[in-house]
Amino acid sequence: MAKLPKEITLEVPKSGVIIHNPTLCRGCGICELACSAYHKGECSSFLSRIHINAEDLDLDFPAVVCAQCNSPSCYFACPLKDSALCIDNETGARYINEDECTGCGECAEACPLPNPAIWQTSNGEFFKCDLCKGRKGGPICIEVCPRNALTFVARGK
Amino acid sequence: MGKMHGWAGKILKVDLTTRRIETEDTAKYVPQYVGGKGIATRIAWEELKPGTGPYDAENILMFFNGPFTGTLAPTSGRGVVCGVSARTYPTPWFTYGTMGGDWAAELKFAGFDGVIVKGISERPAYLWVNDGKAQIKDADRLWGLDTFCTQRMLKAAHGEQSQVLCIGPAGENLVRWASIQHKLSNAIGDAGLGAVMGAKKLKAIAILGTGGVKIARPAGFIRACMEITDLISSGPTVTPVRDSRGRPPGPNTLPCSFGCPMGCGKMFKNIPAGIEVGSGTRNMMAHCEDGVFISGDNKTNYPPKDIAKDYKGDMYTRETKGFGDKIGTEIQALCEGLGISSAFNLNLYPWFWQCIENGVTELNSYKLEPDNPRFWYDLVKKIAYREGIGDIFAEDLIRASDKLNLPDILKKAACFQFPLWGQPDHRLGRAYESQPSPIWIHTSLHWAIDSRDPMASHHQSSFVSMWFPLHHEGKAGSPDVDFNKLMATYAKTFGTAAGMEPGFENIDDKTKLTVWLDNRAQIKDSLLLCDWCFPRILRGFNSKEELKAAEDYCGDIDAEAKMLSPLTGLKITSADLGKAGDRIRNLDRALHIRNYDRSRELDSSGEWVCEYPEKSDGTKWDKSLFNKILDSYYNNRGWDKKTGRPTRAKLEELGLKDVADKLASIGKLP
Repeated sequence: MAKLPKEITLEVPKSGVIIHNPTLCRGCGICELACSAYHKGECSSFLSRIHINAEDLDLDFPAVVCAQCNSPSCYFACPLKDSALCIDNETGARYINEDECTGCGECAEACPLPNPAIWQTSNGEFFKCDLCKGRKGGPICIEVCPRNALTFVARGK
Repeated sequence: MGKMHGWAGKILKVDLTTRRIETEDTAKYVPQYVGGKGIATRIAWEELKPGTGPYDAENILMFFNGPFTGTLAPTSGRGVVCGVSARTYPTPWFTYGTMGGDWAAELKFAGFDGVIVKGISERPAYLWVNDGKAQIKDADRLWGLDTFCTQRMLKAAHGEQSQVLCIGPAGENLVRWASIQHKLSNAIGDAGLGAVMGAKKLKAIAILGTGGVKIARPAGFIRACMEITDLISSGPTVTPVRDSRGRPPGPNTLPCSFGCPMGCGKMFKNIPAGIEVGSGTRNMMAHCEDGVFISGDNKTNYPPKDIAKDYKGDMYTRETKGFGDKIGTEIQALCEGLGISSAFNLNLYPWFWQCIENGVTELNSYKLEPDNPRFWYDLVKKIAYREGIGDIFAEDLIRASDKLNLPDILKKAACFQFPLWGQPDHRLGRAYESQPSPIWIHTSLHWAIDSRDPMASHHQSSFVSMWFPLHHEGKAGSPDVDFNKLMATYAKTFGTAAGMEPGFENIDDKTKLTVWLDNRAQIKDSLLLCDWCFPRILRGFNSKEELKAAEDYCGDIDAEAKMLSPLTGLKITSADLGKAGDRIRNLDRALHIRNYDRSRELDSSGEWVCEYPEKSDGTKWDKSLFNKILDSYYNNRGWDKKTGRPTRAKLEELGLKDVADKLASIGKLP
């Protein structure tokens, strides 16, 4: 058996995580609008770091939201880990430092979710949920959700 | 001009005859016409020639969003559709309808503030709008399908996240009051513009956009939106104390629109079959009157016994029957699928009963059985396909009663149900819900000058009726509201409470408030925001205790401006918005004067309905009192009393000199 590279065996600090409850969600999209407005100064479902893939005629409201994996494949896949794909000291969020990211896309490729929670803008920049790093009051999506369909589970809980 | 904030910056222009697709800059129209209905009315003024009929190639059908659409502004997901409607009465004319859903935001994300459709396609077509581009595509396979199937087919072709507006068989068959449908039950219903799409052979518009809405000052905009979301968190102004529509809304509720924190729609999911399987969906959203097949409606109960003596024997009491969840949602789904407004039985149910009680048990050999759900099941299909009796009712009740050989009392009753502009009574306090004075005075003036049921303007006037404790004798309204505090709220907000005092005193103050309400309604349909929630004259409360402890009920009438300024980066005040609303109303008026000879006489044509007493407090007017009130209203509008036409001074004050010049050149300026 090939020996794993040393760093992969390193313990990565756990992260808090946003949990989406599809039975409470009604697909209003307010989380997406707040997320993109907060991060990008623009309201856009496509610039949001949380996606509600509403199936309007079936009244199903599944979401794509980063699981902030305990063993984060995106982090391990990043050739510039800790400078491009980083771990936030405070929340443990696995986030992309857009100043350092070269746009190789390895992280998105590595995401194990059925619908990867790492996206790319039309200019080629990759983006993902950073749990609103540094925002007083935590993730904005949770604050604005009118139906309490989003909850934040802090790390270690 | 650089990239716009709030607006997408482009308007799509499609000619189905020549298959030409162009774009136009939005900058030409904003901020003076705001967006939505405002821009559409300006374009209609410029392009809609007198004599254009609803089914003519020259009729322009316009689908617009507004600067707030697709943003965090609460309740901002709505869109507006304008054009010459076949439904309006006595003549088809330019009107508008707004609807919720996701298409309006999707259109913004696709890079457009609106779509203007002209011409007639040779074959069934649909419009595919995607990221700054559009294509007219073949819809042969979609023609004839119900609205659910059409949406599923187009989502299969263009992606689940694409949004589809479409017509059903009723629109294709030119049912005058056919709706334009979207999702489960979002619709342009009363305006009846579905037949215009049908005449244009435009089955659907499918939209997908990956862009966004740029914000001039994001931090300020987010802060304003969150504050105002909090302000409206108790729900629509329908009731003083929060119900399941507020935050968090009840579990079996749905917001009608993208970006809305409310839950005004009742959600039905996987409902078992009632009569027949095959209404196209087992899910449904019932919002307000569209759910009447499910729960019935006691607001059609008119008039109460003590007032009934004045109804001269031609009106009587009858609650509209509901058929329960299973059968009711199925009939509603059938209507939404075929593309007609499911609220129609609100007026037809009591009218059919009136027919029966007057000895007319059959219409053209079609037996009337309004208590039998199968009767409605059959009638709805007959209307959508224009078969037999359905061909007559496809013309709507008011035109149908002209065609049918009926006793006068039933013709009169039809007029009572559809008092003006071929639209069902709503918020007039007679055939439908109660509206104690002075609320019905405001609402009937909104009716008098509008081109349809003036939903946006009278909702903000009439929801106060739910707050009126003194006039409902405990039947409706809120016993917990202190009337003096309510009046204090109006005094603080408008400088005087006289506009909301019951009775006919201080007419001038009342009509001033009517003007304010109507101007702000124009803005509401242009921004666009929910007419249940804005403008926020009153604030809602989370509990009765909170309501009792409050010193007044003041909301925040500057809420719209507080969000619009940081969004667009322009300094826009409530006064600016009020003036823009005035501009849009006057332009609409000028258009109706130029194209349809709109006059004082026409404005007065529904006055007779309010010679009947209002159903909760018995107040009414006679012709001379009505004329006095209309004089005052025209005066406060800056319109000539004799003709009802805007004066040159008024039009120039609003920056509409070109409009004044045009009206002068055809001899229609006072």
